[in-house]
Amino acid sequence: MNPRGGWALIKRTWASWMQHRSFFFLLAFGWMIPPLIYLFVWSTAAGGETVGGLTRGEFVAYYLILILVNQLTYAQTNWTVGDLIRDGSMNVWLLRPMSPIYNALSTEIAGKVVYMLFTAPVALVLAIFLRPEATFSLGNTLLFIPSLLFAWALRFFWGYWLALLAYWTTRAQAFLSLQDSLIFLLGGQVAPMVLLPGSMAWIARLLPFRYMVGFPVEVLMGILPSDELVFGLIAQAGWMVMAMALYLFLWCIGTRRYEAVGG
Amino acid sequence: MYHLRLIGSFAKISAQNEMAYRANFWISLLNSALNLVTGILGVWVLFEQIETLNGWDLPATLAILGVYLSVGALRGLFISPSLDTLTGMDGEVWTGKFDFTLLKPVDVQFQASFRHWHPLALIDLALGLGVLYLAVSQMGSSFTAGSLLSFAVALAIAMTLLYAILLVFAGLVFWSPGFLFTWVFDGIFQMARYPVGIYPTWLQWLLTWLVPIGIITTVPAEAFTGNLNLSMLVGSGLFALVAVICASLVFRLGVRRYASASS
Repeated sequence: MNPRGGWALIKRTWASWMQHRSFFFLLAFGWMIPPLIYLFVWSTAAGGETVGGLTRGEFVAYYLILILVNQLTYAQTNWTVGDLIRDGSMNVWLLRPMSPIYNALSTEIAGKVVYMLFTAPVALVLAIFLRPEATFSLGNTLLFIPSLLFAWALRFFWGYWLALLAYWTTRAQAFLSLQDSLIFLLGGQVAPMVLLPGSMAWIARLLPFRYMVGFPVEVLMGILPSDELVFGLIAQAGWMVMAMALYLFLWCIGTRRYEAVGG
Repeated sequence: MYHLRLIGSFAKISAQNEMAYRANFWISLLNSALNLVTGILGVWVLFEQIETLNGWDLPATLAILGVYLSVGALRGLFISPSLDTLTGMDGEVWTGKFDFTLLKPVDVQFQASFRHWHPLALIDLALGLGVLYLAVSQMGSSFTAGSLLSFAVALAIAMTLLYAILLVFAGLVFWSPGFLFTWVFDGIFQMARYPVGIYPTWLQWLLTWLVPIGIITTVPAEAFTGNLNLSMLVGSGLFALVAVICASLVFRLGVRRYASASS
């Protein structure tokens, strides 16, 4: 651990990302579209009535919050970690006197700031036009903060241990595409978890993917009964600890196995 | 004739190239399956909650999805692999490798459009047409020679239009080599997986006239619902023709701006 070096790295990465912000704004735009599609689909479906207990305005609110939460928890570093291992650039990070996790963390922080500079104003403008309806109680807002942090940590470490599989197989990217599809289906993007058909909702409740994106949104919207809320928070924390443990384990045995490729 | 022979050899070389990486086949199969499953489940979850969406029922929406998947597959067969080599940070325009393309004694636009093929996209095409077949049989309408013929014509028109759009983006790269035109378009194009009719009116207008993705997926699907009349077909055909001519002009103007890279 080397906090001072890590902090310097974070500052440097942030400065360099801000320079290329138009590129990252475009990336953020692309990530906004899939939730936006389902915003339109479900708010059309609700029309003047309710679907699964949610009104048109509540669907708009759900998906606008989901757009923000999705980009705040999306860990794009996981795609690059696999590449670093494959092409041997991991050498550079291993030689520095600090843990390579700082590399991932610095891009995470830089990324979140840059993406939010684009996404937050756009979501605000959309909110003015699409008229969301939601009441945020104080309790739900307070619970939202830890659930968002847990969601970020869970998604980050879950993706990181998947990316570390690149130590054993050169095809680790396939696991990440699989994870993205599962998050799309079970994470609350295709529909809020409460609207998924019976068996799918059960699977979503048990697997970690809902806790990466959809769960914090449900918490903030206050659409969960209190026993579901408690169960969700425990499951989220449990999966997060599990993901961290897997990361530490794979990191320790993987780095020992690592043989740099190329020159 | 000469050009057809060239396409034949381009496709053959690409196929041989791809067959060299066998594991890629399985990854590609996984991605096709994920694409199919997320698409179908996305529609299914929606119609578990409601009967119709702005007049679209489950089979009609599935038919649109089938066309969307087929169009995407045809695009992935040669249009995207070929045009994508021009764009991006490691693209030919940025790195200056476009010199070699210009030097070959074949029309530049022809080369840029047909030189790389991705035969595994045929799997996606089969899956997309399969979804369409199932959806149309659910609708209770039968496949007549007439409907099949008008579908083929409408699909050809849709592909021409899509090609024109992507060619313009490839041409614009000569003005702004780093800009992610296709990334932006891909984001918007995802909206075509649902019928344009379910979106708010202003968005429908945008998706029909500004970015005509509505024409690309909705018109071919209408060949089976009986909503497709001759004037619509001729009209969209003329539109596609004008689009291709304009796109070629933009591309050629762009090529003239090309000044290679560095010294």
